[in-house]
Amino acid sequence: MGEWGIVPSSVVLTSFQVMSRVFLIWAVTHSVKEVQTEDSVLLFVIAWTITEIIRYSFYTFSLLNHLPYLIKWARYTLFIVLYPMGVSGELLTIYAALPFVRQAGLYSISLPNKYNFSFDYYAFLILIMISYIPIFPQLYFHMIHQRRKVLSHTEEHKKFE
Amino acid sequence: MKHYEVEILDAKTREKLCFLDKVEPHATIAEIKNLFTKTHPQWYPARQSLRLDPKGKSLKDEDVLQKLPVGTTATLYFRDLGAQISWVTVFLTEYAGPLFIYLLFYFRVPFIYGHKYDFTSSRHTVVHLACICHSFHYVKRLLETLFVHRFSHGTMPLRNIFKNCTYYWGFAAWMAYYINHPLYTPPTYGAQQVKLALAIFVICQLGNFSIHMALRDLRPAGECLQGAGGQLGWVRGSDFLFLPCLPGSKTRKIPYPTKNPFTWLFLLVSCPNYTYEVGSWIGFAIMTQCLPVALFSLVGFTQMTIWAKGKHRSYLKEFRDYPPLRMPIIPFLL
Repeated sequence: MGEWGIVPSSVVLTSFQVMSRVFLIWAVTHSVKEVQTEDSVLLFVIAWTITEIIRYSFYTFSLLNHLPYLIKWARYTLFIVLYPMGVSGELLTIYAALPFVRQAGLYSISLPNKYNFSFDYYAFLILIMISYIPIFPQLYFHMIHQRRKVLSHTEEHKKFE
Repeated sequence: MKHYEVEILDAKTREKLCFLDKVEPHATIAEIKNLFTKTHPQWYPARQSLRLDPKGKSLKDEDVLQKLPVGTTATLYFRDLGAQISWVTVFLTEYAGPLFIYLLFYFRVPFIYGHKYDFTSSRHTVVHLACICHSFHYVKRLLETLFVHRFSHGTMPLRNIFKNCTYYWGFAAWMAYYINHPLYTPPTYGAQQVKLALAIFVICQLGNFSIHMALRDLRPAGECLQGAGGQLGWVRGSDFLFLPCLPGSKTRKIPYPTKNPFTWLFLLVSCPNYTYEVGSWIGFAIMTQCLPVALFSLVGFTQMTIWAKGKHRSYLKEFRDYPPLRMPIIPFLL
């Protein structure tokens, strides 16, 4: 919704999040049937679901120009728990998928072949897991920064009501 | 002659950073930047962006104080562009890397492939040919950087060197790994495919070089231009490379075909140097039949198309009589 100018979210950050979710669902959970019964899947599904219910309520009410403070508060506060919860679920799921990927050679291609190319999905997944280390803190602290800005701004406005 | 006073404020904090009095009316921004450096030596001129409006465009070094829409007390806003590095340094570094790195893989230096392959040589002719082509390409680029190109602007932000080197060095290593791999598979159509692809590569290398020389001869010595974006700027006619960019007339000329047939591509595109560059890499991809090379060509093509479109747009803006048949990078299409 950010790229259509309907809501003021950054296109880059949002695309990132969308891509990572699509990846978790299709390239990991759907592709590796054996992880579908893991608790970690439940963990990230719950985290994402609650986050999205609040987030879209926030956008809807904002567009209607009638945003209850509770929704704004929830959006900028609950992430403190939901975000790490989601990330833990995601990482544990990828980790659980690893042995099955290795065993089946899933989405991997090895030499020799006529296009002189190789891809090791197992190594790729490990790289993805490592990338959470620099990326997650940045996103998390960005939200904390936003929280400070948005919730203190509301405080000031309340004084004049 | 009335003198001007110039005050320089920080664009973000509006703090007064410097006050210059008795500035000549015909002083240029470049000269003002030099004066500003005297009081703030950490902000050398290449790092300074001076503007009339805190959120406005940067003033050019050649702009003359008198000609700006300011009163006799001019207020300029300063923005720190961050640490800068010279274009020449960046280009030499980003091109020397692939040259060296590819050779590490070609000679099968230890720890890349299995130990039994250390320092062995491929039995495929095309692998040796590929090494010659790749090395030639980057040696050509290094020599052009030193003796042909002239970079307007002079510097770019320091972080660009990390970004650019990651791109060039990373892709070079990735391509070189597969082409020089003990399990490399030569092209499906054999010598025929290699010969055709090599011809494409050589023609495009000659073409690219011809365009660089044609651009270099476009302007008389001593003039210089602000290039658009971050790509190779215009080339100066002077044989002396390291003369400072002299302010002067900003007359540009539309590039036209010369007697050299390779330059006839100017009839159809604004940036034939990029056209030939893409062609070279397509040739190399067909020659090695290596998917990573094709991907590298695709990424390069995307970036060069963006640059070509920008250059094309600025040509159209600047010249009323710009040839209408020309496209930015691909004849008739793009």
